[in-house]
Amino acid sequence: MQAREGEMADHMHTVPEEALKELPPAHKALGKLGRALLARFPVWPIVDFLRNKKVPEHRHAAWYMMGGLALFFFAIQVFTGILLMVYYRPAEPWQSVQRIVMEVPYGNLMRSIHHWSANLMILTLFLHMFSAYFMKAYRAPREGTWLVGLALLGLCMAFGFSGYLLPWDDLSFFATNVGLTEMEKAPGLGPWLASLLRGGPAVTTDTIGRFYVLHVVVLPLAVLGLIGMHLLFVQIQGMSEPDSFAALPACQKKHKKFFFDYFASEIPVWLAAFALLVALSAIWPRALEAEADPFGAAPLGIKPEWYFLAQYQALKLFPGKLEYAGMALMGIVPLLCALVPFFDRAVPSDRRGTWIERAGVALLVGFVVLTVWGWIS
Amino acid sequence: MTDSNTTRREGDGGRRRFLGGLGLLSMAWAGGLLYPVYRYLAPTIPKDPFDAEGKAPVEGVKAEDIAQPGQGRNAGFAGGGLVVFRTPEGELRALSSKCTHAGCNVEFQGGSIHCHCHGGVYDLEGKNVSGPPPKPLTRYRVAEQGGLLYVYRPDKA
Repeated sequence: MQAREGEMADHMHTVPEEALKELPPAHKALGKLGRALLARFPVWPIVDFLRNKKVPEHRHAAWYMMGGLALFFFAIQVFTGILLMVYYRPAEPWQSVQRIVMEVPYGNLMRSIHHWSANLMILTLFLHMFSAYFMKAYRAPREGTWLVGLALLGLCMAFGFSGYLLPWDDLSFFATNVGLTEMEKAPGLGPWLASLLRGGPAVTTDTIGRFYVLHVVVLPLAVLGLIGMHLLFVQIQGMSEPDSFAALPACQKKHKKFFFDYFASEIPVWLAAFALLVALSAIWPRALEAEADPFGAAPLGIKPEWYFLAQYQALKLFPGKLEYAGMALMGIVPLLCALVPFFDRAVPSDRRGTWIERAGVALLVGFVVLTVWGWIS
Repeated sequence: MTDSNTTRREGDGGRRRFLGGLGLLSMAWAGGLLYPVYRYLAPTIPKDPFDAEGKAPVEGVKAEDIAQPGQGRNAGFAGGGLVVFRTPEGELRALSSKCTHAGCNVEFQGGSIHCHCHGGVYDLEGKNVSGPPPKPLTRYRVAEQGGLLYVYRPDKA
């Protein structure tokens, strides 16, 4: 059926004048396709919205790139994760990872990229979180974006923890053991949750089944859903402006169009990140230790991944009965982070804002010091 | 209007060449990216199942399992599935068990070989005698050594 211009079949939509002006001419293939699509799906307002999406330009604007960069690393994780799943067998975990590393062409590279991209993603998320914190992007009306972001950081750490067990080597076995034992000590739901995750009184290959399903089904679905919410909130509410920029008179505020000026400036950052990933993976490929021996002694100098080092060190600082104090501290920090937007509703000049800034600096310094301390001790 | 159009067209020539070059470069880059992914996914060529003498052990059946005429079993070797049986005359035979019609595994039924998927029938030589199979089953030379069975690489035609 052919619909001539101006004469539409039933249920077809009229393509807005504004869209007709933007589309290539009707006799060109793209112009024809654009008209046909808009006549069937009246999405011009969305296209128009995205066309006009703007990013504020100021000296802190580079921090806006962290979210996109984290998303880029996440895409790499999905892609390499799917590739690893082709050969990974939860029933013979170590053997199948060994096959990926030793036999499958480029298998070692894919696994190492998955490892490095996970680490860089978490690092980028921390930078994203702290930059949003210090630019006070969490303030009303963006409390929801902040909370979803915190949840995403937590889920990504759960990604790291669950993925760590899957190769079933010495390191992964004892790291999971330690992590679940700590969880078990937490009052309340701790013992129940730890036993549910472990699938029994000890870490066995049964635990792998649970961690595998978490790592490749549950967490990806949850993270994808939350990323969707996070991005939707940002589109609806627009980019947050730091106080210094918001205070400028309208005529002095400079913006960049997202499509494609800002987007184009993100591409070199992603390419550089990709080059870094491949370089790190080639220079320091992820090792596969000996197969886990549940009755063997833990290897010397065993430590968690760097993003758990701060917690690890904090727990070491509170020996014996004081361990509960350490754990309480660990529970309180994320809780306080979640509450910040509801405490800081103030105007820019308010004292509360200053206190929140100081607390943020203290948290950042504490986190870095504990991480480094955990690393070298 | 005409002037600005001309200027634009001249400018477009250089721009088009630049974009074309950029397009080619990105395609080369994408190719470089996809090659490791393809190699990662491409199945590795299976090892030759036959040894230097052209012999391969049969798994899943021993000589004693089919000692009597008219006995047969589904079995296999590293190169694929087999039906191994003794004819009513007592001759030991091995045929590929992969039906030449749609690839199901056939079954030895005393006097003939049947495929349950679409009703194909082969005789004990492996010749397709009834139903949809278009070709005979591959026949392997089979030998017994110390109670174990071995098949040999089929002679090239």
